[in-house]
Amino acid sequence: MLRVLDHLEEWLIALLMGGATLIIFVAVVHRYAAGLPIPVVQDWLLSLNLSWAQEACIYMFVWMAKFGAAYGVRTGIHVGVDVVVNHMPERVRAGFITFSLLAGALFTGVVASFGGSFVWQLAHTDQTSPDMELPMWLVYMAIPAGSGLMCFRFLQVAWNFWRTGLLPHHDPAHVEGIEPIKDADILPHDRLDDLERNGAGTGGRR
Amino acid sequence: MTSAIIFGLLIALMLTGMPISIALGLTVLTFVFTMTQVPIEAVALKLFTGIERFEIMAIPFFILAGTFLTRGGVARRMINFAASMVGHWHGGLALAGIVACAMFALVCGSSVATVVAIGSIVLPEMVRRGYPMEFGAAVITVAGSLGILMLPSIPKIIYAIATNTSIGALFVAGLLPGIMLTMMLCSVTWYIARKRGYPRMPRESWATRWKLFRESAWGLMLVVIIIGGIYSGLFTATEAAAMAAVYSFIVSIFVYKAMPLRDIGKVLLASANMSAMLLYIITNAALFSFILTNENIPHALADWIIGKDLGWVGFLLLANLLLLMAGNFMDPSSVILIMAPILYPAAMLLGINPVHLGILIDVNMEVGLCHPPVGLNLYVASGISRVGITQLTKAVIPWLVTMLLFLVIVTYWPGLSIWLPRAMGMMP
Repeated sequence: MLRVLDHLEEWLIALLMGGATLIIFVAVVHRYAAGLPIPVVQDWLLSLNLSWAQEACIYMFVWMAKFGAAYGVRTGIHVGVDVVVNHMPERVRAGFITFSLLAGALFTGVVASFGGSFVWQLAHTDQTSPDMELPMWLVYMAIPAGSGLMCFRFLQVAWNFWRTGLLPHHDPAHVEGIEPIKDADILPHDRLDDLERNGAGTGGRR
Repeated sequence: MTSAIIFGLLIALMLTGMPISIALGLTVLTFVFTMTQVPIEAVALKLFTGIERFEIMAIPFFILAGTFLTRGGVARRMINFAASMVGHWHGGLALAGIVACAMFALVCGSSVATVVAIGSIVLPEMVRRGYPMEFGAAVITVAGSLGILMLPSIPKIIYAIATNTSIGALFVAGLLPGIMLTMMLCSVTWYIARKRGYPRMPRESWATRWKLFRESAWGLMLVVIIIGGIYSGLFTATEAAAMAAVYSFIVSIFVYKAMPLRDIGKVLLASANMSAMLLYIITNAALFSFILTNENIPHALADWIIGKDLGWVGFLLLANLLLLMAGNFMDPSSVILIMAPILYPAAMLLGINPVHLGILIDVNMEVGLCHPPVGLNLYVASGISRVGITQLTKAVIPWLVTMLLFLVIVTYWPGLSIWLPRAMGMMP
């Protein structure tokens, strides 16, 4: 059940990202192609109205941002100032981490409930978006839904941390398809150096 | 008094290690519930409309373009071309790494992407040719920060959004300072390499150079699309970013064939993850600056600074110190979102050009990216090269000092940043 939710979340944000890019690309190409004096094609292009593209792009990215932020909690991409906390004894540090995860859940929870009542009010009006004429409550549904999911993710991460002591960690050096330098690439004397270094130089982020 | 409470609360929350976006949001909530008359509805509305601007959408597009470029074989061809041009000098491959970073930076808006793209190819090669690993990693760490200075840059877009400055002018304004920094970094590298006797490569013929240039031209075409498109008025910045994303997709998959089509899902997901994180900080920072503005804090601070009679020289010194300090704790986007609305009004009163201020902030962020505790370039370069952070921090020092010198030049020579966009008529 949870796995279905995970996949749904990933598919949704990846599709929104790709979709918005395509829409803007098509709209720009259309804008200039419609100016070309090619018979029939030009008439057909002029008959298409793509003025809604910009608005669609904004709303798609708003949805992508809200659900992507929830996904980001799961991948550990939301970073904070952890310099001070990391220098504390393990138990104090665990306390701070739990506190900040719960603070995240609190904030997103409050926003979700704000958003919920705001959308509820909107649903009783007939406000629509200017270009696509979507009902505004549907557009803004992203905030309670995304924020609620984010709250759930914070609680999930906190629960996992409490049980296993593990946090999701985002590694910016890791890019799919690009490998870190393998040992085989490193000359023997450098490798020796490297071993010493790893002993001495562990004063990193974690 | 109010400002002391707001900033005190923000700093206290941030020091617990919670995500910066959450700390910003909670500060606003606490403030709204306890101390002010701002109607809660106004705050809620801001939450919805905070990122509903088309200019902001340039950020996800540039991130997507950058992710494609990182994987797309563009970097390898740029390195080959750069090596053919400067490889025969002392420390040739290191110089080629710097020049390739500069070239990659012309089309990519992120410094981390630049470090990953160039570093993952050039570092193994350098080790194979007998350079010590930490030398190479240090060079790429610092040169990678050109990614946010040359032409397109995500921090510049964020500054533009926070202060309503022209994105096109900011992009172009980084070009000359970027070239200057490239030359300064190359000089230092050349000097160190000569002293330590690092290897040189054979000189290439002009025919080879031309051939390698043509191979890398597919990637460099992006400059024409992005800057040409914005300059000629064909595209807005956001549209240019979307075109760049589609173009780099086509080049990576169909021209250079560096990436299988089935990986596109992973690229989209990784870009969405990164973009959503930035957009989330932007939303909450918009909320935060709404509260600040509502309490009239930026203007009060501006008046206070003007009252100190520092003049623009003293003000910029203070601004640099503040930004460097903030860069010790936060990532560039957060620093800009929090500091720009505060520094901007005072700078305007002192007659400082907004584009110049933007480039100055950008260079400060570059410095922050290259030293601990939060310098992301450092962590990424260390991750790729497996050189320990402590070791790399020491190795980076000569280039970091160069960069600080460069910061002084950028700060007190406004013409360097604003001459080009002005000459191109992109700003008054």
